[in-house]
Amino acid sequence: MINGLSLGSVYALMAVGYSLVYSIMNFSNFAHGGVIMVGAYIGYFAMTAANLPFWLAFVLCGVGAGLLAVLLELLVYTPLRNRNAPFLYYIISAMGASIFLENFVIATIGPTYRTYPQVFSTEPFRLGALSLSRIDLMIIAVAAVGLVALVIIIDKTKIGLGIRASSFSIKASQLMGVNVNVTIFIVFLLGGILAGFAGMLFGMKYTVYPTIGAITTKSFVAAVFGGLGSLPGAIIGSVLLGVIEVLVSGYLSSNFRDLIAFVILIGILIVKPTGLMGKTSEDKA
Amino acid sequence: MKSGGKEVLKLEHATKQFGGLTAVDDVTFTIREGEIFGLIGPNGAGKTTIFNLINGVYALSGGKILFDGKTIAEGAAEGRKALQLKPFQIAQMGITRTFQNIRLFKNLSVYDNVLIACHRSANYSLFEPLLRLKGTRFSKQEKALKHKAEDLLDLMGLTFYRDVISVNLPYGLQRKLEIARALALDPKLLLLDEPAAGMNPEETDSLMQMIRSIRDKFDLTVLIIEHHMDLIMGVCDRIHVLNFGKSLAEGTPSQVQSSPAVIEAYLGAQDGCVKEGER
Amino acid sequence: MSWYYIEGILIQCGYVLMVVLGLSLLTGFAGLFSFGHAGFMAIGAYMAAIGTAKWGLPFFPALLMGGAAAGVVGAGLGSMTLNLKGDYFCIATLGFGEAVRLILENWEYVGGARGVSGIPWETNLNSVLIACVVGTLALMALIRSRHGRNIIAIREDELAAQMSGINTFRYKMIALIISAVYAGIGGGLLAHYMTYIQPKMFQMVKSTEYTIIVIFGGMGSVTGSIIGTLILTFLPEMLRSLDNWRLVIYGLAVIFIMVIRPRGLMGGMELSDIFRLPARRRAARMAAERIKSMEDAGAGKEAQR
Repeated sequence: MINGLSLGSVYALMAVGYSLVYSIMNFSNFAHGGVIMVGAYIGYFAMTAANLPFWLAFVLCGVGAGLLAVLLELLVYTPLRNRNAPFLYYIISAMGASIFLENFVIATIGPTYRTYPQVFSTEPFRLGALSLSRIDLMIIAVAAVGLVALVIIIDKTKIGLGIRASSFSIKASQLMGVNVNVTIFIVFLLGGILAGFAGMLFGMKYTVYPTIGAITTKSFVAAVFGGLGSLPGAIIGSVLLGVIEVLVSGYLSSNFRDLIAFVILIGILIVKPTGLMGKTSEDKA
Repeated sequence: MKSGGKEVLKLEHATKQFGGLTAVDDVTFTIREGEIFGLIGPNGAGKTTIFNLINGVYALSGGKILFDGKTIAEGAAEGRKALQLKPFQIAQMGITRTFQNIRLFKNLSVYDNVLIACHRSANYSLFEPLLRLKGTRFSKQEKALKHKAEDLLDLMGLTFYRDVISVNLPYGLQRKLEIARALALDPKLLLLDEPAAGMNPEETDSLMQMIRSIRDKFDLTVLIIEHHMDLIMGVCDRIHVLNFGKSLAEGTPSQVQSSPAVIEAYLGAQDGCVKEGER
Repeated sequence: MSWYYIEGILIQCGYVLMVVLGLSLLTGFAGLFSFGHAGFMAIGAYMAAIGTAKWGLPFFPALLMGGAAAGVVGAGLGSMTLNLKGDYFCIATLGFGEAVRLILENWEYVGGARGVSGIPWETNLNSVLIACVVGTLALMALIRSRHGRNIIAIREDELAAQMSGINTFRYKMIALIISAVYAGIGGGLLAHYMTYIQPKMFQMVKSTEYTIIVIFGGMGSVTGSIIGTLILTFLPEMLRSLDNWRLVIYGLAVIFIMVIRPRGLMGGMELSDIFRLPARRRAARMAAERIKSMEDAGAGKEAQR
């Protein structure tokens, strides 16, 4: 159960990035996986090659991933946006970026699996009759703090107001004086930072490898599950998905763990395509 | 005006709600064969919503719409499930339309836009095109489709622009092309959503001429939404006035113009509808 | 470079082209995006492989059976998901493709993760050539008919297509089924070339690659899809000496194309259109001049008043 919660928390950190970008730009940012992967590697090398303490590595990977996400936005998506390209061009470019990042890492660092140095003792943390793994607790705590901070930024600050306005209509908020470029910039930055954290935590829980980004399809499923474009939806969807996956692999078979995610995805799309709390829109003639 | 023709379109207590908002509230009117019927009202009066109900883009919340005596949409009521034909079925029955914000097949040529819409005049199957020989049903029907498309372009004065990508046409010609495309389905009822929007007075004049002439040539019945009062008053046989989704008045142009309720609604409204007073 | 090597790449082009032609219809003409075509390909490959390797069927019927199986599954998927709006449909196909792969991985009858081996080697240059020629001609014939035009209308403006009396759901379904059949046949050809198949050959990355070929060649152009397939299959082979770097270059190239020449190589034109291009340009220029003079005249009148 705790294992499921911690997995769900990692999904949530990734899914909010997806969801934020989707809510404003209405496309699925498949390059998000690449950002997560790079974040995981930055954390790994900061701790091994540079011998930095854990917390510093953690900050570095957030910053690095955030910058990468912003760089992608500036170099890839901004030119597309300036031309009013249809959403599919964004998706294809995102795919291209993800192929690029993944293979760049394979070509330079190599395809081997790497294990993070041990930061927390594997000695479980005992709370009464419960025994909890320290890394899981750490993940849940980081995710909770990160997500709460994000929600506060979006709900309480002026930047957040701009983000919320842009998710209704980019054009209208532009007319109302919202600097859309800055808003999108910030959305990518926030999503990137959380993606970096997620990558590092995931790497610590399991291992680091170039195709680690593939797990973002899961966080993507989670985002759809909760309702694309909705932050609370993404968080709830992620936690549910994490718990369901762990339960399925515990009671049925670990082979069905991945399958269940996609079965949920298709099921949700058929029954309620807007997810648990997604925004709806009616086509106007 | 041909009076006393048979009923082509009939709305009976048509109602449409979006969430808590009632966009069209208990609207009833009848359009007879050969009429040019105007639908006017201030912005937000529910005119375009009515078009979308007639086409089946929106499902009716209450009431009934009949076309040619057949029910095409009916809201749910006690002991009866809602009935709603799909937009393409309604188009195939003979109601076609143009759009307020012009929706052409933008990246296709003028000719292709019309040719696509001619598809109902052929009925060869999915597999017949595989055999591309002279004299097959496929090649005969394709030829007929091409002739039809060319005739329509000719009629609308678009032959010269046949290979131009439709999005590159000037505004007025785009509107004409949309009408040509709507005519390609041999409709009985043509819905025009603000056909004169963005046109200067001369263009509006020639549009009026054209609406009359296509009505006569194709035995059409026409329903127009328009803000240009010149056009509406000049071309329509009868007019139905809406305000906040409700019926306000109905009658000939002169009856409507002298209706106190209509004058009140228009003087109360602050949008640019009152073209009449400006001239 | 030996002929044997080139022949190998050409055969590879052949089965890739079958999938790409199908995807070209769905994406380039109907405007629907699929990230699940590797799934259809897998279904066709497994069906055909089981047909020949386990049931002892001849190659040709087994290939058609694979195509038919993919088509049937496509119809099932379509009936559930084609009502979804564009973006969501694309997500559903992604889920579908991955689900197919994971089911195959866990299904012992088809060998689980090890897959099927001992498939007869039947796919050669002749068989892929026949498949591709027939496939291309059939696709062109479909596109140049009222059915094909209706499919294109959906891509251009779905609502306007409905208002023109086009049953958009039915035509999207037709496009999806035909597309799945092509992918299934492509998969069958692949299986009988490799002589073994494994679920991991049909990952989502494959679906992405095919979509990229369609875009690279130009949406709405069969010629573009063919040229795109040839270039994007040969290029990575030529770059093989660069080893891991070739996919880096590939990724960069995709972004570059999207940003610089988003309409693809052929930009919606067929080869035959290119010969007609000068005449068309002239007509378009004349029309533009007339439009301009009309506007000038209109402006003049405005000014007089």
